[in-house]
Amino acid sequence: MIFKLALRNIITRPLSSGLSVVLLSSSIMVIILSMLTMKQMKYKFNENANKIDLVVGAKGSRLQSVLCNVFHIDYPNGNIKLNEVSFLAKHPFVKSAIPISLGDSYKKHRIIGTNPNFITHIYNGSISKGNIFIKPLEVVIGSNVAAKLKLDIGDSFNGSHGIEESTHDHEDFLYRVVGILSPTGEIIDQLIVTSLESVWQVHPDDDKKGSFDLKTAEEHDHHIHDHKSEISKNNKEITTFDLKTAEEHDHHIHDHKSEISKNNKEITAVLVNYNSPRAKFTIPGIVNQKNALMGAEPAIEIKQLLELIEPAVNIIYVLSLFIFGLSIFSILVTLLNSMKDRKYEISMMRVGGASIRLIFVSIILEGFFIGLIGSISGLILGHSIMGIMARFLNLNYNYQFTGLVFDRLEFALLFMTILIGMTTAIFPAITAYRLDISKTLKNKI
Amino acid sequence: MLLAYIFGLNQKKLIRTNNISVKYGDIDIKFPNINLDYGGQLLIIGKSGSGKTSLLNILGGLLAPETGNVLVNDVDLFSLTNNKRDNFRGQQIGFVFQTPHFIKSLSVNDNLKFSQYMSSKVNQSKIDILLKKVDLNHLKNSSIQNLSEGEKQRISIIRALVNQPSIIFADEPTSALDDGSCYNVVDLLTNLSQENNTTLVIVTHDKRIKDKFPNKINLNDF
Repeated sequence: MIFKLALRNIITRPLSSGLSVVLLSSSIMVIILSMLTMKQMKYKFNENANKIDLVVGAKGSRLQSVLCNVFHIDYPNGNIKLNEVSFLAKHPFVKSAIPISLGDSYKKHRIIGTNPNFITHIYNGSISKGNIFIKPLEVVIGSNVAAKLKLDIGDSFNGSHGIEESTHDHEDFLYRVVGILSPTGEIIDQLIVTSLESVWQVHPDDDKKGSFDLKTAEEHDHHIHDHKSEISKNNKEITTFDLKTAEEHDHHIHDHKSEISKNNKEITAVLVNYNSPRAKFTIPGIVNQKNALMGAEPAIEIKQLLELIEPAVNIIYVLSLFIFGLSIFSILVTLLNSMKDRKYEISMMRVGGASIRLIFVSIILEGFFIGLIGSISGLILGHSIMGIMARFLNLNYNYQFTGLVFDRLEFALLFMTILIGMTTAIFPAITAYRLDISKTLKNKI
Repeated sequence: MLLAYIFGLNQKKLIRTNNISVKYGDIDIKFPNINLDYGGQLLIIGKSGSGKTSLLNILGGLLAPETGNVLVNDVDLFSLTNNKRDNFRGQQIGFVFQTPHFIKSLSVNDNLKFSQYMSSKVNQSKIDILLKKVDLNHLKNSSIQNLSEGEKQRISIIRALVNQPSIIFADEPTSALDDGSCYNVVDLLTNLSQENNTTLVIVTHDKRIKDKFPNKINLNDF
């Protein structure tokens, strides 16, 4: 009965109770939203950053190099010559050195020119349907690409020039889907993976021009691709580059229609993993000594990036705490006003035999219910908005966030909010406790 | 002792007061001693300011007297702790006021049920019987705010009776009502209290009802 009374008292004052609940749930929502975003971002960044020890790319911004080549959310600094990085594969401290070449995309999904080790060694990916790419222009697609673009084995498409904003389609080069990857929950689910030869075949002039600047992809509009010309060079050089996986490439069919000097072939970056802790102190130094190369360690870059982001997140936390404080104040005002409106009711309850304890508990229960409704609706709102934001982030940044992640801190927050709601109700409860029934009744009744 | 018993001097009374008075600023108001039997009816009349409501509040344990004591069922009300007095009041006393106030957020039935809940005597059939007696059973689930003033006053009489108290104190129950409603309310109060063997004490300045009660105290005479 007392629970019913407390709930009915909240429901029959929809405006004032509603304001308290809305303020409380808004602050909880913002806290949860920032908590979930930061948690998932840290997890995703660290998880991906830890997969690769060093990114070797063109000189420029280290962070940009990491974001582009590891997280696939930025543009490359430029291209590097394949022969300049071939020493990495032969270095005794290097476990694997996987070249990648970027430049094209299909419906905002990046096409990565690389070798199969990119899938198996870095992301522990596996083919769920079809086979790995062998010939140029064969592609293996991530699970999300397949689902979103409704692509299946045997389907074909034209890649677009540019990573984010396409300027023109490579109409004469038709990529063919030969494999679909199992879902990993990682960035590879959003990628289209093909051989390096595919990229070189689609961009035959890039090696002559030097590095192609992906930011100014529109400049390439006028490019006429000579499709009859050189098809990629021998795969022997690639397998030489990646000695550790040479045997996996034995079955490759090589198209040797023409020969272009290996020295001129360009890639975007090499993703290096060490096999010795000493590599951390030697390899980056060797790489950075070379004029055209720059080594960027994802773990360090991401740590710095997160340190940059953290103050902004902290400001959001402080703001949400401010709204939280406002909502607590609003609960206090709501309950005090309610006590003012209900002083005759409370007097009548006392006259009817309700003990001070019963009235005290009923008011504390109102604080409890406002806290409970506010925090639960804030929790639901926070996760729902995270879910909606996740769809946007997945779509625009190819990163899988979700609203269905929970943190132990959320339950602590829920408990704390209810406790604060109840504590806030103590003052109005004391006001009711001190109510002089005789005086109240004499004045009005 | 034997003589006192034979002449009824030691007969158990429901209400006994002894030299009670209240103080408002510099003014002392002294009240006559009251001895009321079980099932009796008493009308306390007096002008405004004569202390009618204060007396009722003292008898109901809502206001502590400046001097004297109040015994209800041989229990000295003001020797009890606040909690025990609240509990005693819930069990033994019902109140009807000039303006009936209810818990606005609850329905008619829930208001009556809450009265029983406060004294741990929840009994839905008692509520149903009383509602039928005042022809308001059809409003059982209505919001209390949708009732007319007359209906509210009838419900407040039922509320005073749902716990089967020993006494009902009614403070100006008819002052705001027209003649028809006034007599209806008085009849309802007297009949229901008689049926339930409940003692009835009414304080009023309403002259319309003074002839209905043979047992009266006029505070103007003190």
